[in-house]
Amino acid sequence: MKKGQLQKNFSSEHVLFLKKRRRRTALVWALRIGVLLLVLAIWELVTALGWADPFFMSSPSRIARTIFGLYRDGVLFYHIGVTLWETLAGFAIAVGLGYGIALLLWWSDLLREVLEPYIVVLNALPKIALGPLIIVWCGTGSKAILFMTVLVGIIVAILHMLSAFIATDKNKLLLLRSMGASKWQILTKLVVPSSLPSFISMLKVAVGMAWIGSIMGEYIVSRAGLGYLIVYGGQVFKLDLVMSATVILCILAAGMYFLVALLEKLLVKNTEN
Amino acid sequence: MKKQILRFTDVTYIYHTVRGETIAAQDLSFSVGEGEFVAIIGPSGCGKTTLLSLAAGLLRPSAGTVTRVGSCGYMLQKDHLFPWRTIEKNIALPLEIKRQNTSEHRERAKNLAVKYGLGDFLDSYPSQLSGGMRQRAALIRTLATEPDILLLDEPFSALDYQTRLNVTEDVAEIIRSEGKTALLITHDISEAISLADRILVLTKRPARVAFEHEMDFGEVKNPLKRRETGNFSSWFEILWKELNI
Repeated sequence: MKKGQLQKNFSSEHVLFLKKRRRRTALVWALRIGVLLLVLAIWELVTALGWADPFFMSSPSRIARTIFGLYRDGVLFYHIGVTLWETLAGFAIAVGLGYGIALLLWWSDLLREVLEPYIVVLNALPKIALGPLIIVWCGTGSKAILFMTVLVGIIVAILHMLSAFIATDKNKLLLLRSMGASKWQILTKLVVPSSLPSFISMLKVAVGMAWIGSIMGEYIVSRAGLGYLIVYGGQVFKLDLVMSATVILCILAAGMYFLVALLEKLLVKNTEN
Repeated sequence: MKKQILRFTDVTYIYHTVRGETIAAQDLSFSVGEGEFVAIIGPSGCGKTTLLSLAAGLLRPSAGTVTRVGSCGYMLQKDHLFPWRTIEKNIALPLEIKRQNTSEHRERAKNLAVKYGLGDFLDSYPSQLSGGMRQRAALIRTLATEPDILLLDEPFSALDYQTRLNVTEDVAEIIRSEGKTALLITHDISEAISLADRILVLTKRPARVAFEHEMDFGEVKNPLKRRETGNFSSWFEILWKELNI
């Protein structure tokens, strides 16, 4: 009676079906890459033919040259490293601290009710408004950027996890209580494992928030990092530099999102009901 | 007289919300003896689940007393197996909660699972099992800590009709052969007749015991066989009328 056991000897119809699916996937990927190449080609062509000014528009070849130039000067990985470190550290702190605070708020109804309006206000507040305060408190080093990154991510992490903890199935809670479970047991046996899918989706949101926080922080204070390159490039009108840093940022952000998606595949196997 | 496992004496229970209060039960008295299978039926919204929560000790009565000898096992409408645990781990859950998670207890629970046809599924996850098998696993989980009384909250109502008859059959067989005491709450008259030794009919809110019947099927304990007897339809008619008073 075991469900989900697939037979191995497929009918010819099924073989055809699988073939079609594979073709479809290949088509989608070919088109995706095609779109990218097309955009790059048009961009390059338009600037090369002088229809658009490469000084303002930059171009793929100029971006490639700029990135290679940064590499030759030995600063490419330095800037990437600075931003990556700020982002990852801020992400880890925001997620860890946010998860812990959400647990505390789940544990104590009184604490939750008391703090709710403050969290709502902090959530609505545009964190960049705190920029000057952060500079005064933390100076203009990477401490300030880290602080900004944590600030941007933590509220989202708290709210996301808290709503997941509260949404724990009422009947499963009843079941555990009827077994005489303590609050700690309810937390460890039910609330934490059943909120795993929400934890993963929180990580996905928090990754985006961490990039916003670190780049925003670098806009305000930094002397290094990709956000710094973008601001600096803008100030001295080196649009090639701005574009290059943006391209690198895209690749890094996609990579980090991909890592979280991979984690999801590893962790979330048996949570469907 | 048999030893009483569960006794309600003049129990009143009041629900409080911001909008007001609701008397769910008033001066409710009944008892369940050892080895007995008692079914409680009542019109919908008569506070059946409240009654089981009182019996399980999850709620305290506003007035009157609930006394229970020994431990209870609660079985709900859905199996509520944890999808991230294998069947074996699910069955061991109450042992973990009650800190009885010794190899001896685990072995006993496992044997129970094997005895009732779950042996091949111990390493499977709940999503790989059919609805009937899942509910059977839920029953084994309830039995794992050897409770003195089983509290059954419409445990078959989420199943489709055919599965339902089969699972009722299974569960009745398991409960009888393990010699368990059980209190079943249901709105399904035929289910109550096919399973119980004694049936209590509740009134609308506030719930009181309006009627009480000993079932006279003699040695016919099997739910499907009971459904075939002549008494079955006459009991159905009586209880149907009493529910609609």
